[in-house]
Amino acid sequence: MPDLDDELMERYRAGDEDAFTLLVRRHQQPLVNFIARFINDRDGAEDLAQETFIRIFKASRRYQPGRAHFKTWMYHIASNLCKNELRNRGRRDRYRVDNVVDSSDEGDIEQIDLIERAPADVSFQPEVALERKELHDAIQTAIAELPEQYRVPLILRDLQGLSYDEISETLELRDGTTKSRINRARLMLKDKLKSFISCS
Amino acid sequence: MNCLQAEEHFSAHFEDTLDYQVLRDFEAHLAECEACQSEYAGFQESVKAIRQLPQIEPSHDFMPRLQQRLAEERREIGGVKGVAATTWERLQDIFHRPRWAFSGIVALILIAVGGYLYQEGSLFNQNSQPTVVVTSTPERSQIATPPVELPVHVRRSVEDVNPFSPRGVISTSRQPMQQHYILKQVSYTNASTRGGL
Repeated sequence: MPDLDDELMERYRAGDEDAFTLLVRRHQQPLVNFIARFINDRDGAEDLAQETFIRIFKASRRYQPGRAHFKTWMYHIASNLCKNELRNRGRRDRYRVDNVVDSSDEGDIEQIDLIERAPADVSFQPEVALERKELHDAIQTAIAELPEQYRVPLILRDLQGLSYDEISETLELRDGTTKSRINRARLMLKDKLKSFISCS
Repeated sequence: MNCLQAEEHFSAHFEDTLDYQVLRDFEAHLAECEACQSEYAGFQESVKAIRQLPQIEPSHDFMPRLQQRLAEERREIGGVKGVAATTWERLQDIFHRPRWAFSGIVALILIAVGGYLYQEGSLFNQNSQPTVVVTSTPERSQIATPPVELPVHVRRSVEDVNPFSPRGVISTSRQPMQQHYILKQVSYTNASTRGGL
């Protein structure tokens, strides 16, 4: 039985343009999240996510259902775009964290929620929220500092929730390599976050 | 199992994918190694913390912007097909034009060609003396030899004597007002000597 993504692609190729819109709606959030965590830039992430969908749109005739999963194909395209983007930017923007974690929308909502919900939920008390935010910033910085070959599988596994097989397929790696890279990435992060983890 | 080996299995143990033998060795090492216990606790905490990072949502205008770009892409794709279609339609349109337009175009072309030919013909009439052109053969000499116009008496002697006749004259132009005698397989030097040039 073909999965829903394959069916949507088939429908789109048969002329149903709504099928492509549905496909985008299903994957836009995880894709933006993946790219934002990868390149550490929220605005840039939206542009690259759009570019990914445009590439998928253009290459839809070449997509062969069953040969590769739509999701791994999408992440493959996106990760290549991200690598090119980082290469183009050079080292200039690699360690920019403010745009991702401190996104204006998210910050505003959190502040409003803090005031409204503080008495009911201890986790929304300002100190706790601040601590949590600092931890998130530290994690994002630590992820951004990881070498690319470790960063991508880690994000796909721990933030996107892909299986090891899917990650291997996306990154065209052997299973053993994927597993060892993810373990190595986690060990690196553990060392980087030592002070934050012991505090929290 | 030593500490380095134990560290290699942190992820597998965390995700509960170790096989029985390795699991037993790992836990045996962890039970007796405080450093690894501490490291593994930190490892678990950091993985949990990463997994709790908030998901970044696309902005509200993500979809409308994408739809716009997709529409542009569709137009571009349609545009390529459209150009092909338009060219074909134009061709068809030309063939569907009234016949008098065609006749006019053909008449104009004929007048232009006729005028050109008439001019060419009048030039020939002004210079109606036959000429002989001597060229060197490409096999014997690679240097291009300019055509030489011979004086009338020499031209006649060449016509009468024609010492190169068995193989010399390859082609002769048959235009009414001009004659070209092309002497081949004769070098320019030979032609000069024998022909008295």
